[in-house]
Amino acid sequence: MLLQGHQLRDGCVQPGQQRVEIHKLRQGENLILGFSIGGGIDQDPSQNPFSEDKTDKGIYVTRVSEGGPAEIAGLQIGDKIMQVNGWDMTMVTHDQARKRLTKRSEEVVRLLVTRQSLQKAVQQSMLS
Amino acid sequence: MEDCNVHSAASILASVKEQEARFERLTRALEQERRHVALQLERAQQPGVGSGGVGSGQPLPMAWQQLVLQEQSPGSQASLATMPEAPEVLEETVTVEEDPGTPTSHVSIVTSEDGTTRRTETKVTKTVKTVTTRTVRQVPVGPDGLPLLDGGPPLGPFADGPLDRHFLLRGGGPAATLSRAYLSSGGSFTDGTEPRDVPSYGSLSRGLGVRPPRGPLGPGPVDGCFTLPGRREAFPAGPEPVPPAGRSQPERFQAEPYGLEDDTRSLAADDEGGPELEPDYGTATRRRPECGRGFRTRAYEDVADDSGELMEERPPFPAVTAPLAQPERGSLGSLDRVVRRSPSVDSARKEPRWRDPELPEVLAMLRHPVDPVKANAAAYLQHLCFENEGIKRRVRQLRGLPLLVALLDHPRAEVRRRACGALRNLSYGRDTDNKAAIRDCGGVPALVRLLRAARDNEVRELVTGTLWNLSSYEPLKMVIIDHGLQTLTHEVIVPHSGWEREPNEDSKPRDAEWTTVFKNTSGCLRNVSSDGAEARRRLRECEGLVDALLHALQSAVGRKDTDNKSVENCVCIMRNLSYHVHKEVPGADRYQEAEPGPPGGTAGSQCRKRDDAGCFGGKKAKEEWFHQGKKDGEMDRNFDTLDLPKRTEAAKGFELLYQPEVVRLYLSLLTESRNFNTLEAAAGALQNLSAGNWMWATYIRATVRKERGLPVLVELLQSETDKVVRAVAIALRNLSLDRRNKDLIGSYAMAELVRNVRNAQAPARPGARLEEDTVVAVLNTIHEIVSDSLDNARSLLQARGIPALVALGATSQSVREAKAASHVLQTVWSYKELRGALQKDGWTKARFQSATATAKGPKGAPSPGGFDDSTLPLVDRSLDGEKPGSRDVIPMEALGPDGYSTVDRRERRARGSDPAGEASEKEPLKPDPGRKAPPGPSRPAVRLVDAMGDAKPQPVDSWV
Repeated sequence: MLLQGHQLRDGCVQPGQQRVEIHKLRQGENLILGFSIGGGIDQDPSQNPFSEDKTDKGIYVTRVSEGGPAEIAGLQIGDKIMQVNGWDMTMVTHDQARKRLTKRSEEVVRLLVTRQSLQKAVQQSMLS
Repeated sequence: MEDCNVHSAASILASVKEQEARFERLTRALEQERRHVALQLERAQQPGVGSGGVGSGQPLPMAWQQLVLQEQSPGSQASLATMPEAPEVLEETVTVEEDPGTPTSHVSIVTSEDGTTRRTETKVTKTVKTVTTRTVRQVPVGPDGLPLLDGGPPLGPFADGPLDRHFLLRGGGPAATLSRAYLSSGGSFTDGTEPRDVPSYGSLSRGLGVRPPRGPLGPGPVDGCFTLPGRREAFPAGPEPVPPAGRSQPERFQAEPYGLEDDTRSLAADDEGGPELEPDYGTATRRRPECGRGFRTRAYEDVADDSGELMEERPPFPAVTAPLAQPERGSLGSLDRVVRRSPSVDSARKEPRWRDPELPEVLAMLRHPVDPVKANAAAYLQHLCFENEGIKRRVRQLRGLPLLVALLDHPRAEVRRRACGALRNLSYGRDTDNKAAIRDCGGVPALVRLLRAARDNEVRELVTGTLWNLSSYEPLKMVIIDHGLQTLTHEVIVPHSGWEREPNEDSKPRDAEWTTVFKNTSGCLRNVSSDGAEARRRLRECEGLVDALLHALQSAVGRKDTDNKSVENCVCIMRNLSYHVHKEVPGADRYQEAEPGPPGGTAGSQCRKRDDAGCFGGKKAKEEWFHQGKKDGEMDRNFDTLDLPKRTEAAKGFELLYQPEVVRLYLSLLTESRNFNTLEAAAGALQNLSAGNWMWATYIRATVRKERGLPVLVELLQSETDKVVRAVAIALRNLSLDRRNKDLIGSYAMAELVRNVRNAQAPARPGARLEEDTVVAVLNTIHEIVSDSLDNARSLLQARGIPALVALGATSQSVREAKAASHVLQTVWSYKELRGALQKDGWTKARFQSATATAKGPKGAPSPGGFDDSTLPLVDRSLDGEKPGSRDVIPMEALGPDGYSTVDRRERRARGSDPAGEASEKEPLKPDPGRKAPPGPSRPAVRLVDAMGDAKPQPVDSWV
């Protein structure tokens, strides 16, 4: 198994990364974020359609519900979630990620995500 | 102007004071160093004397202290980190710049944005940036033009904010100061006066952007560095960095400052949802090119530590050039603009250009009377130093470190923070001179003071990150313990661990928080915990530390969150503190086993004595073997009913280290964690705990069995990670001091052990070969379990171990491996009962002896007598240094008493970053065909690593 980065550099926002802050929406009993995740270290990374590196076991945003909190906050399909409220998400199981995102005590989640498009943009800007 | 004068007067005064303080600190540091050295010496001399001579100096075979040291991997990365986070917010508040120190929270962003978006900080940043940019353009017009532009590029994040602001707000004042400083230097620049009449410094030269990306940082820092002599006049006090009178390079002043930035800006310009660039990227970029070019050297620590991280976090940005980090531009800009106005005389060209401040200037700015200038200078320094060893060195040579350390006590939070950020980068790296220099100017106490005072999380992260960096340097470890242990424990470890001294009945037990601060701090303690007996003693006796670490680990296990770095650090500390507990803990002698000499990890009780008898008898004759078996049987019963000691009160503090309860914790980690370092450390902890010849070790050994830990360990023998295999093998060896364990291990682990031997002899794939240390460890474990146990020797035969051993002995390049293999063979041959079987398989005595003879020399004869040592409890074998098994297994021990193994390990790891070490970790996902290839005996189909991949079903998708 690949030992992946356990932790992002503290607070370091790397190029191609950005923060997204989502305020959960109360739906009946539940607080929802309005997106779905795939991936995790216990999942088969090769089936992840969003990753460039097919061994990447990170957590990816697979769907974003229209008009939901996540969309409002700017989260996009294919974003790779690096951190949730400062917790590393690059080395977690699917379920751990889910739990981390759905803590009832937290009404706001702050994500650090990488986005392919962002990276490309950065790249290009560097090259130009 | 007045303002300015006041400032400079004050600054002179301040710097004089600072000098005094520094001198005092130096004296203290010197004293400390002296003490430390004395201690080291003392320790170095101790070896022979040590407690009962057992291993205080000699390498102890059993209790190898496996310190996993990890150099400050995170720190470095982190260093960058600092820039982005708070700064962004800061920027945001920029308008308010006057108080840059205001702690910033992400939330603020939201507010700042108009209600519509909680668009994330990025946006904010952008705004901020815009501001800056705007400023730049407008400045020429006048200081008032500070409108925030929207959609600017999120470049040039933090530094510029305050500075520009400052200048702008203040009108000419600061500018004048600056310019004066600048120009006065005269040297390469015409006359100092010129600049003065140019109050329009407002124009922020963004000139930096224009230069070739790697400009000053990359190839030729030297070149550029001296262009501008430092302005001494401006800051008379203090040791000014010597400005080598370089040639001025006026050409570098570019007329159009915007070049690069404009590009970026336009890129980022689409503000709505478009790609948003984080301000930080400047820094990050820098690293990219390196990766792209295959230079990983700078990042070596990271690589070494966990190779994955690199890849994970630094996506392949191929050939990106590295523009200067934007953040600092602002500050530079202010300088530049001044400069710009001064037509440089020497310049062949008439056209003035923008330029960066040179390093001496930046350092001089650290003494600038205007606080934001200091802050920006420090921030810029941080940027410059990022992964640039050359700059780091120069900063030290120019005596910049004392300046930065002094700023840690600055009244303004922003200045402290920036200074600390710079120190963090400066303290990172394999080059230890900077670390030493930071120590020499009282950096450690200053950092600790700052940690105590700081409530701002970012600062705490910076401080702890810096301390982590510093802690990798041996001579600093004790310094950190002396000054920081209490603070680190009570300010960080305890509160973040969730442990409560006096648990409140009502409150639920709290979980640990894996914050960055905790991670950094635990990393720091992890490093210092490897500094030897004294360090361990201090840590063990630090109130609450062990309790908190244990609590944190338990909470990690409880939440099945055992893969992260903090957990790794905690386990490593625990393991280091477990090293030699049986000798170092106060009152340890009370628990020593009755047998003073070579007790086989025996309890003082009757049954234990019989055990000993059994052990010794074992070698003698068949009959005795037979009887011994019986005895063993009895003993087993005794062991199984072994009563754990009853405690009248709950264990606390260091006692927790060796309570049998910890076994479950370590086993849980071994079962749950996927972090190799954690696995290794947990196995190492068990190894350390089961090593001692004291009562607790006996309990631990028995508890591992009762908690069904043996299968867990055996399974880990299949780990693809060398060091895990090694730690587990050694732990098994220690555990087999317990007779019952030995039988079980012989039955169930033999196949795996042999497989590792086979693998060593014929690696399944290139690069898959185990390290020598590991092979030797495995061989010694086999030796241990076949010694004194005919059944186990039979198991070895059945596992087809003999061919593997012979082959290894014949082919191995390593003397130690060959020796260890022959040692095993010898032992096997010594069982007359087995000779028939061996001969039937075509083996001759020569096979077993020749190897032996060559390897063992004097002990060539395979007479049972020759093996007495092997019957000795492992723990004590180190007594006779020449015993093959002992020191071979723990090669690092040879480096010195106690903790030094760490050094070795760490360096090896660091070095190994590119070569083998990493390679082996890089491919772990591939199933290892070799593992299955050998026609070995059937073994449990546990495949730790691959299991996940295979077993895992369809991708899961969860709504959240």
